[in-house]
Amino acid sequence: MSQCALDQPSLADRRSAPGAQHIMIRLIPLARAAIVVLALVGGVAALAASPAHRGGKLRLLATSSGGTIDPQVNYTLKFAQVYVSIYDGLVSFKKASGTESVKVVPDLAEAIPTPTDSGKTFVFKLRRGIYFSNGREVTVDDVQASFRRIFKVLSPTAGTFYNQIVGASACIKTPATCTLLGGVVTDAKANTVTFHLLKPDAEFLDKLAFAHAVILPADASPHDVGVLPIAGTGPYMIASYDSLKQLRLVRNPYFKVWSEDAQPDGNADEIDYDFGLAAEDAVTAIANNQADWMFEEIPADRLNELGTRYAKQLVITPLTANYYLPMNVHLAPFDNIKVRQAVAFAIDRKAAVKLIGGANLATPSCQMLPPGIPGYEPYCPFTKNPGATWSEPDLEKARQLVKESGTAGMKVVFVTSDVPIGRALGTYMQGVLNDIGYDATVKVLAQSLQLTYIQNTNNKVQISLFPWYQDYPQPSDFLNVLLSCASFHPQSDASINVSGACDPALDAQMAHALDLSLSDQNAANAAWAAIDRKVTDAAYMASVFIPKHLDFISKRVGNFTFSSQTYFVPALAWVQ
Amino acid sequence: MILMLIRRLLQMLFVMFGISVLAFAIFFATPGADPSARIAGRNATPETLIQVRHDFGLDRPLPVQYALLMKRLFITGDLTSFVNRGQEVIPEIVASTPVTLSLVLGAALIWIAAGGLIGVLAAATRGSWLDRGLMIAGMIGVSMPVYWLGSVINLFAQSRLHDSALFSWVPPLGYIAFGDDPLGWFKTLVIPWCTLAVLYAGLYGRVLRGALIESLQEDYVRTARAKGLSESRILLRHALRCSLISVVTLFGLDFGALVGGGALLAEVVFSLPGIGKLTFDALQTLDLPVIMATVIYASFFVVASNAVVDIAYGFIDPRVRDA
Amino acid sequence: MAVTDLGADTIAPAMTKTPRDSEGVWSIAWHKLARDRLAVVGALIFAAIVLAAALAPVYATYVAHTDPFHSNINGEIVIDGKPVAVLASSTEGLGLGQTPIGPTWRGAYLLGADDQGRDVAARMFYGGRASLLVSFGATAICIVLGAALGITAGFFGGLIDSITSRVLEILWAFPVYLFAISLSIVTISQGLTIGWVTIEASSLLLPTLIIGIIYTPYIARPVRGQVLALRRTDFVLASIGIGCPTGRILLRDIFPNIAPSLIVMVPLMVALNMLTESALSFLSIGVQAPNASWGTIIQDGQGLLYTRPLVAIAPGIAIVITVLALNVLGDGMRDALDPRSSARAGTAAP
Repeated sequence: MSQCALDQPSLADRRSAPGAQHIMIRLIPLARAAIVVLALVGGVAALAASPAHRGGKLRLLATSSGGTIDPQVNYTLKFAQVYVSIYDGLVSFKKASGTESVKVVPDLAEAIPTPTDSGKTFVFKLRRGIYFSNGREVTVDDVQASFRRIFKVLSPTAGTFYNQIVGASACIKTPATCTLLGGVVTDAKANTVTFHLLKPDAEFLDKLAFAHAVILPADASPHDVGVLPIAGTGPYMIASYDSLKQLRLVRNPYFKVWSEDAQPDGNADEIDYDFGLAAEDAVTAIANNQADWMFEEIPADRLNELGTRYAKQLVITPLTANYYLPMNVHLAPFDNIKVRQAVAFAIDRKAAVKLIGGANLATPSCQMLPPGIPGYEPYCPFTKNPGATWSEPDLEKARQLVKESGTAGMKVVFVTSDVPIGRALGTYMQGVLNDIGYDATVKVLAQSLQLTYIQNTNNKVQISLFPWYQDYPQPSDFLNVLLSCASFHPQSDASINVSGACDPALDAQMAHALDLSLSDQNAANAAWAAIDRKVTDAAYMASVFIPKHLDFISKRVGNFTFSSQTYFVPALAWVQ
Repeated sequence: MILMLIRRLLQMLFVMFGISVLAFAIFFATPGADPSARIAGRNATPETLIQVRHDFGLDRPLPVQYALLMKRLFITGDLTSFVNRGQEVIPEIVASTPVTLSLVLGAALIWIAAGGLIGVLAAATRGSWLDRGLMIAGMIGVSMPVYWLGSVINLFAQSRLHDSALFSWVPPLGYIAFGDDPLGWFKTLVIPWCTLAVLYAGLYGRVLRGALIESLQEDYVRTARAKGLSESRILLRHALRCSLISVVTLFGLDFGALVGGGALLAEVVFSLPGIGKLTFDALQTLDLPVIMATVIYASFFVVASNAVVDIAYGFIDPRVRDA
Repeated sequence: MAVTDLGADTIAPAMTKTPRDSEGVWSIAWHKLARDRLAVVGALIFAAIVLAAALAPVYATYVAHTDPFHSNINGEIVIDGKPVAVLASSTEGLGLGQTPIGPTWRGAYLLGADDQGRDVAARMFYGGRASLLVSFGATAICIVLGAALGITAGFFGGLIDSITSRVLEILWAFPVYLFAISLSIVTISQGLTIGWVTIEASSLLLPTLIIGIIYTPYIARPVRGQVLALRRTDFVLASIGIGCPTGRILLRDIFPNIAPSLIVMVPLMVALNMLTESALSFLSIGVQAPNASWGTIIQDGQGLLYTRPLVAIAPGIAIVITVLALNVLGDGMRDALDPRSSARAGTAAP
């Protein structure tokens, strides 16, 4: 089971029934009558590269770089958004908007194979005539070397996504001499690569579509390259990278479109990604048409200005994501269920929504599952007049629960990140915790540090802010991944079950629901809904709101494409 | 003389060593700054984490870590960032230096010129309203927090009055290298220069005024007056020269301290990618190699400029040589 | 920084009087100061600010009727009989974001609200409190520590002087802002635990200690220089010669003669420390929530600069006025007490 830890969305892992190639996703249209997605010129369906709009330079802004330029090591959304247009895997997620973007389509492979040997063997036939940006043709040796390299460079997902490949355990133990013997077998004459797995894995194709499974030249350095670009097969190549200043992409001269779905041609001739500008100044730059798009969240005080004067340059996209407040069930006072429920009762979700920009950018939520996930049934126990939806906080009930728990007056530290919404929610929650009877303080950590900090039980984090974005649109990604015993690793920076909830009965229930989903989807949904209610009542994590994504682009940008995997797709945007 | 020079240089090296140890102690003894998980990436397995800790020598005893870091910083020069893996630290610092130097030197030119003007005017008209007015204006400048002044100026220059004739030439925040576009370089720096200059101009004006007034009471000035020289000639030709010593001393100290990190706030507010901003960004993410390098570099500058000032003072004022 | 070393020869002759005459010195200085109108104005302004800060709870309760530390996101106040939202959600265009109420120029929300709906004016009163407490505390620490170190090094000489001087040199050379930032970053997250003493991360004591420590060399080095010179004067040598115990020499001969320059340093250091504290708070590593200082309010105002700039501008003006008053007072005191000192107002810490 994948355990993708994120503070920003990582790439998706899609569940599909073994043998089936269609997607078992039911995206229920959002029930909320919130703002409609503002589609720009180009509409929801992504238009591929159009000759009329070819050319120009796309200018992107971020406050800092995304880290290493090594696609098999980098685990940030910031760079994943551009890597999808620089590198290719055997398969990849379709480059499209909305629901189409979760489909796995053949990329460097000619077709998606049907697994044999009861789901343990996958045979891929490699396309011919595809070249890296250094002029060399892609061969099956490159594929084999790339998968070995995942282990050699200590890729963060090596041990979790690719550990079921035969020979992987030896590779994890001694990465330097990784051979994946028997796991990745090539046949140069037939031009095929065969994968042998230890166990059947219904998600293997998704893992191959994931960013770290891209195919690189066989002679790429077996260490994290840091700042030295590796050649890729996509429409763009890295011309230069200075982690303090700029990442510059230009067209890959050897690129020819082989699959419009998997890897369309890019529109702009060049993409300049500039680092170092603060978010407020980036907004000003885009408003002055000095830049085209910014990665960071729009500062709250500019929202009104943008929403009125620059409304046509804003794109609002609903997300299946949720802002949670995990509460550590192993630490006082949150080891007491009454306290956790008190917190959930006391949060004024309307105020929290205001802090992120108002009802058009977020909707209050009480339960673990967000709308749009199979198994979602509106449920809100933590409000005055409990029922299906949240109406207002119940401070009296909260104070009552705290008094009953006998923990009033205790010191509580709320750990949040230093992004604007993190600080704002931190300040607000401090007031809430004080209101219900605690002595609360806020600890603000840099965003890059906060996520690992709250996962490590050594840090004794009582309550924190935890935005969670779907890896894949299934209830298990919100329930199993976040609340099962298998996701709880004490004393490790990688323990995505932040609240530390470990209930064997709950685990059994979730396993049962997972099994059900292979045979009877309706029964599975009902089972997941029941689990959702159960964990919501236990208040392991208090749910605050479901955010929408806001993008601000300059006047000249067209064909804005929003993939549910990597969000904005720069390659498809045109600037003239 | 030579003895003094050698002694001063030895002292300089000793201080730098002390600072590097102090900085290392502050940062590497920090709890909760375990970099291995950040390097390994999210969701890494425990084996991966151990591997990474070994690669970076984080499982060795502290003195060994210090020695390793110093070696990579000075001898082999291949110290790399923990956060932006692979990005070498020394080239980053070298690349940021011209920005900080441009900022500080340009501002220094302006504040020395302004301070000189203020000081001379005030001394020439001492006791008058002009003198008092200038001193008060200078004091107000000195009392302002630079980051506040900078962000208020940004508010007008970048946003509120950006479209007006006064500020439409203002480029977006950031830095343009002189080599790329000299006019652009100038435009990005003019406002930061003036902001920093406001802080120091008043101070230098006051120091110069005080020194001038003192020199004007010296015997040689009385002699010059008796000889019939005009007041302004006395002021500018004779008194000014002697007064410059105290200004020069002051400037040496201020310059070193500014380049060493005082300009940090100005760089952060104006988004100039200099040493100060580099340090600040690294402090946010606890990027230990970068922090170590910038702190040591900054202290080197302060120590060196102090040493230069002391040595220069020794040349100018023989009384100090034997101290 | 303009607080330069005092060389051995800068002891004003008028100061080297025996304790019997010291009262005359002080009353002379006092009268001189009282005649310096500018310094008096500075002192009065500063006193007014301190008074206002002390009365912060009175303002919050009786004038503003709010708790300036409690978020008030969904709150409403009544203006001219009509209810007005403290954080008004936008209804134009796409209806995104909300705008805090602007200055009402009345008791409630005199200067408007910040992004959590809190009364900015009330916060500024409390902010002044925190800023003044930290600045005074840090000044006390650095003067006491600095004087102690300087006297020890200057009087005892020898090995003690060597070691102390070396330590002071290192501390002095460490760029002040980087030193403060380094110490703050390290202690702000966990607080400080030395032995059985624990200081919480949100305590005002942390920035006070840090700022006090980093400015100790600013006092210690001049004091050391002065004491070195004093030690060679006739009357001290005489006291040593007749066998006076060290404690008495320090108390009766040394200390009264360095006291004037120390006193001159007080307002100047308070001003310098205030600027440093506000810079650290602006960088979010000084005063921590739930406390507010003028620097933290300016930081809050950064996120509102485009819509409600007063939130950032007002605390800055408060800082300028306070520091200016202190500088003017410090200059006056220097002129009255220790005219040869090169301690200058406006040690321009950016």
